Amino acid sequence: MPTSNLHKWASLPDPSPADLARAAEGDARAFTLIVERYQGMVYSVAFNVLGNHTDAEDAAQEAFLRCYRKLPQFRSEATFSTWLFRLALTASVDYKRCAKRQPEPVEVPELADEGSPDLGDDVTAATLTAALHDLPDDYRVPTVLRDIYGLPYQEIAEVTGRPLGTVKVMVHRGRASLRLRLRAEGARPAAAPDGARQRSDA
Amino acid sequence: MDCSYFRERINNFIDGELGYLDVAELQQHLSFCPDCAAELAQLGKVRGDLAAWGRLELAPPPGFAERVTAAVELEPAPAKPFGRAVNDALDKLDETLGRIPLPGGRTIPVKNVIGWGLAAAAVVIGLERRHLRHSRELKPS
Repeated sequence: MPTSNLHKWASLPDPSPADLARAAEGDARAFTLIVERYQGMVYSVAFNVLGNHTDAEDAAQEAFLRCYRKLPQFRSEATFSTWLFRLALTASVDYKRCAKRQPEPVEVPELADEGSPDLGDDVTAATLTAALHDLPDDYRVPTVLRDIYGLPYQEIAEVTGRPLGTVKVMVHRGRASLRLRLRAEGARPAAAPDGARQRSDA
Repeated sequence: MDCSYFRERINNFIDGELGYLDVAELQQHLSFCPDCAAELAQLGKVRGDLAAWGRLELAPPPGFAERVTAAVELEPAPAKPFGRAVNDALDKLDETLGRIPLPGGRTIPVKNVIGWGLAAAAVVIGLERRHLRHSRELKPS
């Protein structure tokens, strides 16, 4: 079974307690260091949940604003990165719930990591992004939370405000749709989907 | 053959939610159903690809951190939780009022003495009010 990707973020070194205390007191410089350190993580979560750069940037910014407002309540029972990761997830899901945008063309994100993603031979970042983008929102969000971030079903139900059984059905259908879509993509030569653009063009 | 029952089970298996008897039943079905076996392999691969994708960090747009910082600077300073605000206020009161020396070299914060005084006053007032109410009830009309 794939392990939760929460573990990856939880392994990031936390800011020092002194830095966190200064940021919690309203020190903008200390908070800027937090933003610079975690912007990749927060933005990745927002993009994977929302599927386009405009919404992802708005949701990621909202996640950092929530972090700033709630920082005095942060307790060190969880690592800071896990706490911020959850804020990013809930901010993105809330954004998705509130903003009903018109469908947008598929946008392929740039990777901050060096090297190519460790995907299957016939799957590229472009095909995976396009397959996720084409999922209906009702399937996409629970599937992202379950299979990209490894959240338990119960937690997905709480975050999305849907019954547990419904969430399971949505994930199963999301997986089935992705399987069919990726199989179809694998059967023809890999190419960036129509409307794909690099983020730096935005 | 109707495989819908096992298609559901395949998802439960991927999620690690099947008991060993259910796993054995599924494995027996997979041994003679190539369609379900292929579905399990493909779903497992989809899940693996998604997990691999999730381990990647995407690059935020240029200037993202600066825009967040600018938005944060428009925010008021974060509010302290009530408990911590009360503690801080009491600490400040401690610094202002100082401490009362006790025999044996120990000291006691003035704010504690004030707190006990206020508590004692509240008890006395409560008893007094009770006594008055009781007297009124006993008084012949």
